[in-house]
Amino acid sequence: MVLREPDVAPRPSTSRPRLLRPGPLVAGLALVAVLVTVRLLAPADEQVIAADAARDAITLAISVLIESLPFVFLGILLAIVVQLWVPERVILRLLPRTPWLRRATVSVLGVVLPVCECGNVPLARGLMVKGLTVGESMTFLAAAPILNPVTIITTYQAFGWEDGILVARIAGGFAIANLLGWVFSRHPSPSELLTTRFQRTCAYEAHSDEHGGRMTRALGLFARETSAMLPALFVGAAIAGLIQVVVSRDLLVTLGSNPLWSVLALMALAFVIAICSNVDAFFILAFGSTFLPGAIVAFLVFGAIIDVKMLSLLRTTFSTRTLAQLTALVALCALALGLGVNLLG
Amino acid sequence: MASRLLARWRGLVLALLGIVSTVWLGATGQLGLYIHPRYYVFTVVMAVIGGVLAVATFALAPAPDEHDEEELPARGRGWWTLGGLLLVAASAVALLALPPSTLSAASAADRDVNSSDAVLAVDAPTLSGADYGAFTVKDWAAVLRSPASAGSIEGQRATVKGFVTPDETDPDNVFYVTRFVVTCCAVDAQPVGVPVYLPGWREDFPVETWVDVEGAFATNPSVVSSEALVIVPSTTETTEQPAEPYVF
Repeated sequence: MVLREPDVAPRPSTSRPRLLRPGPLVAGLALVAVLVTVRLLAPADEQVIAADAARDAITLAISVLIESLPFVFLGILLAIVVQLWVPERVILRLLPRTPWLRRATVSVLGVVLPVCECGNVPLARGLMVKGLTVGESMTFLAAAPILNPVTIITTYQAFGWEDGILVARIAGGFAIANLLGWVFSRHPSPSELLTTRFQRTCAYEAHSDEHGGRMTRALGLFARETSAMLPALFVGAAIAGLIQVVVSRDLLVTLGSNPLWSVLALMALAFVIAICSNVDAFFILAFGSTFLPGAIVAFLVFGAIIDVKMLSLLRTTFSTRTLAQLTALVALCALALGLGVNLLG
Repeated sequence: MASRLLARWRGLVLALLGIVSTVWLGATGQLGLYIHPRYYVFTVVMAVIGGVLAVATFALAPAPDEHDEEELPARGRGWWTLGGLLLVAASAVALLALPPSTLSAASAADRDVNSSDAVLAVDAPTLSGADYGAFTVKDWAAVLRSPASAGSIEGQRATVKGFVTPDETDPDNVFYVTRFVVTCCAVDAQPVGVPVYLPGWREDFPVETWVDVEGAFATNPSVVSSEALVIVPSTTETTEQPAEPYVF
């Protein structure tokens, strides 16, 4: 998060440019060959792990991982394009200058940059390096998974106009995202909301205009973003897999018909299950008859912004304290929204 | 030194683990064990792009002023390195060494067979002029759930394939031929099943066995079971788990 002077004259580089070296490239190819060989030679017997629960936890974790990985790569690629190829004025100058109007515009950016929520984290990091404020990036992270064409279409396919679920999701997501952006923009020193590692990345990027060619810099960014995002994604997927096996679905589902408990139960389910906002409507449709509409809205809004996998990914960028406040705020808003829909409906 | 190396290569190694695993699953037709078919192409294409970038990145000499290391006190650094190594090792074992696996029948029991009425209702097939031979477990389960059409299939013959799970309301006489329905990835798998009346089924077909059942729908002879219509089988045979065990 650094505001740069516009159009600074190119600064002569003081450090050595990055070089492409053949040795490590061969090492990289050799590593790939080793990994492929291990995969091909591994035993094909299903019963290596006897316990059902352990095998299921691994299967579920791999499933979350394989589902999210392409979106994370897409997010990283978009972030690289935004940072290296899109001129600053296109993104930041086109945004209105009035803070609230600016946040409102940022919250519909998901329409033109439709990445899933896990892909949004690297993209938001790229946008912050480019100069988006912390509050605005919060608004983007919260709004983009909900206010994007894919999510809106799947939610419509699943629920139509029934019970106001679609309208409540869109309007609620927009309101919560802008509230978040406003609250966090009031922080006297917004950079304290970030991890020290990410602060340094931003400071470093601001002075790195002249490190070699664009392709080399793109690869450098790719290395940096994968080393930040992938450990978080792998840990998040592992936790999501484990928690599925430990938490009983039956318990959450039996809470379904109470106006208050059903909202809380579905928020808990959303947190635990960590599925993409693009398809969560189909998933929760499966429980449509069990739960009240308010609970479904809370699931669709809360789960799109916060879940175990997302917290793990967001931790690469925001401090633990910030994430605790963020989670509490989103949870309260989603709860209020859900209860409101239940009362009015 | 070790922590520095790890910090630099951890992300790329993890990326390559995921990429090799994804491409192998795609090449051997097993991606369906984890994700919905609509994502196959996107997933494999992104994996290949990611792989090319990751390998190219290896060739990139680190910039002299690169900030790779976490700002950690020297005391915590050892644990951090150990945690990173464990993560890489565990991921390698899970993604490359273990055979791909479906969800167990135990998780079907935890998720309540046929609890997902609505998803079935949305996709319910039309009965008039339908090709019953092509009906899956999901199609039949949807028909059985909808009160309007359930009555009209009494006497209809059906062939279904799935794994065995007990009917909780009459576990001795009725079992479900069960399949998982996946809407996005295996995490959201919901079991659906067609009830089959076969007293003493456990002796021949333990829970989780894959079976082919052929028979006709009839009013459930069991008085305690909550299912109204069941298949009364003419033949029930064990079979291999199909290459694509989930239905979509």
